Amino acid sequence: MPGRVRKVPLKNPDRPYLALGLEGSANKFGAGVIKHFEDGSTSVLSNIRHTYITPPGEGFQPRDTALHHREWALKIINECLVKAEVSMHDVDCICYTKGPGMGAPLQSVALIARTLSLLFDKPLVGVNHCVGHIEMGREITGAQNPVVLYVSGGNTQVIAYSRQRYRIFGETLDIAIGNCLDRFARVIDLSNDPAPGYNIEQEAKKGKRLVPLPYTTKGMDVSFSGILTSIEAYTLDKRFRSDGLPRNPNDEDVITPADLCYSLQETIYAMLVEITERAMAHIGSKEVLIVGGVGSNERLQEMMGIMAHERGGKVFATDERFCIDNGIMIAQAGLLSFRMGFETPLSKSTCTQRFRTDEVHVSWRA
Amino acid sequence: MSSSSLALISTSTLISQGAEAKVYKAHLTSDQSEPPILLKHRFRKGYRHPTLDSSLTRTRVAGEARALLKCLRAGVNVPGVRMVDSLEGVLGIEWIDGQSVRRLLPGGAEEEDDQSEADSEPEVVDLLKEYAVPVDVLMQLIGQEIAKMHLADVIHGDLTTSNMMLRHPSSFKPRPSALPTELVLIDFGLSYHSGLVEDKAVDLYVLERAFSSTHPDSEPLYTSVLNAYEQRMGKEWAAISKRLEDVRLRGRKRSMVG
Repeated sequence: MPGRVRKVPLKNPDRPYLALGLEGSANKFGAGVIKHFEDGSTSVLSNIRHTYITPPGEGFQPRDTALHHREWALKIINECLVKAEVSMHDVDCICYTKGPGMGAPLQSVALIARTLSLLFDKPLVGVNHCVGHIEMGREITGAQNPVVLYVSGGNTQVIAYSRQRYRIFGETLDIAIGNCLDRFARVIDLSNDPAPGYNIEQEAKKGKRLVPLPYTTKGMDVSFSGILTSIEAYTLDKRFRSDGLPRNPNDEDVITPADLCYSLQETIYAMLVEITERAMAHIGSKEVLIVGGVGSNERLQEMMGIMAHERGGKVFATDERFCIDNGIMIAQAGLLSFRMGFETPLSKSTCTQRFRTDEVHVSWRA
Repeated sequence: MSSSSLALISTSTLISQGAEAKVYKAHLTSDQSEPPILLKHRFRKGYRHPTLDSSLTRTRVAGEARALLKCLRAGVNVPGVRMVDSLEGVLGIEWIDGQSVRRLLPGGAEEEDDQSEADSEPEVVDLLKEYAVPVDVLMQLIGQEIAKMHLADVIHGDLTTSNMMLRHPSSFKPRPSALPTELVLIDFGLSYHSGLVEDKAVDLYVLERAFSSTHPDSEPLYTSVLNAYEQRMGKEWAAISKRLEDVRLRGRKRSMVG
């Protein structure tokens, strides 16, 4: 940030630090080990994830997701430690997702973190999921002070850093973008493997026709629920062909599922790019960082790239390993705050479904 | 393709690139002594599907012009409309000599653009002095102007301190015993017509959020904006105030304690 140059409060560590990160706020359970070296560099030792995949047409229920996490946690953590070639005794702290997310899965992971903490006598660090995404994105891409677009199944926010907080400039007024995509995938019976959004993206590549949808940006905020209703209504339209094939050679005025995927993507991503551009213009930043599961969408990255180019800026994005929920981002954000002296005592090692990005004091940044 | 608007742009000077448009200073006639106009060109967005892009541009330019006219008729201080070309996305409005409120308030000047960074901070106080308006009067002006606009059932849609300007005293002829400047609301790109209490409350909430994010230390200022708004709105205020409370709680995952 030009003007006043504040010193970064985070000092290089006196010895290498190791952190284990555990994430399970939605349908993925992830574990990762990160290492911070004396020279300030960082290395990802391992990053393992298992996703709870439901049959097409179904979403993931909190109860079943928690069950999945409990079933897989120990296997994943073991695999993660083996891959990193470290033992639990070498770890400096155990970082877990405190929130936001689904209650039951969060509780399962917090329980596992607490148990490990007691077994191996390691300090706990509760981490805000959104801050985890941002810190990992910054670490991987090297973006300095970007406007952050955080888009996932549960969150849609435009964030910028100011005075030790990640401030939310715009966000969704109702459902998250990923939620909108997931629910539409269910309506047209797309597979949830590997992710509904991925399958919508593939389907959209075959789409040609842009159907009119609401375009609901309000200042720097967006709204998706009306768009979901509207696109669902197209599946009941008499021009809609669920198999995507015309009924006879003269049947030209048709709407296929691919067209709907295409229209949905074009509309909602244009909205996201627009509010991001608005935030960039507002604070005068030239960098954009896209994080969160939907951030791995290549069409969104492409559109954001065009916008950034038009403004003479730059877009930073990561691939699915770091975009989609993972343990390593929790380890990264947790270790940063641990190095600043932050710990979560056992009695406070709770989790919460509501935990806003701007509630976290970002002590490690200038 | 009406290339006359584009030809006009090609002879104008680019001033800035906002969130969705490029802004130019232009002269409608070759007579340079005529007052200039401001051209707002919503250029084609490469990231957006062409069909979507042109329909959005068309409705936004027409909507902006319509809202400005409505405000002018109701006596709200807004720039006058000089030309509209919705197909090309060009809107020509009155040129306002002055400064955005954002730059006049503490905290707002930093981070806007790099070149004026070094000298911007001590300037804040001086700038306001130049306009001969104390901060609390400025807040009242903001409240009054928004109230006038809302009484005309126009919703701005993007109320921020960047979208308000103070006319420079040198270019303004006040009535006797009035302030040497006036507050002008600009950028009606996201505005629409609505008489609903809901929309007015959301409009106020957008400004509230803009205040707290751009001027983190000046949140109490917003209270005096609301007070002035309240006075001007009269009996409509009760309903809006109640709805504003609701709207504040509505942001997603806002902590719902208490």
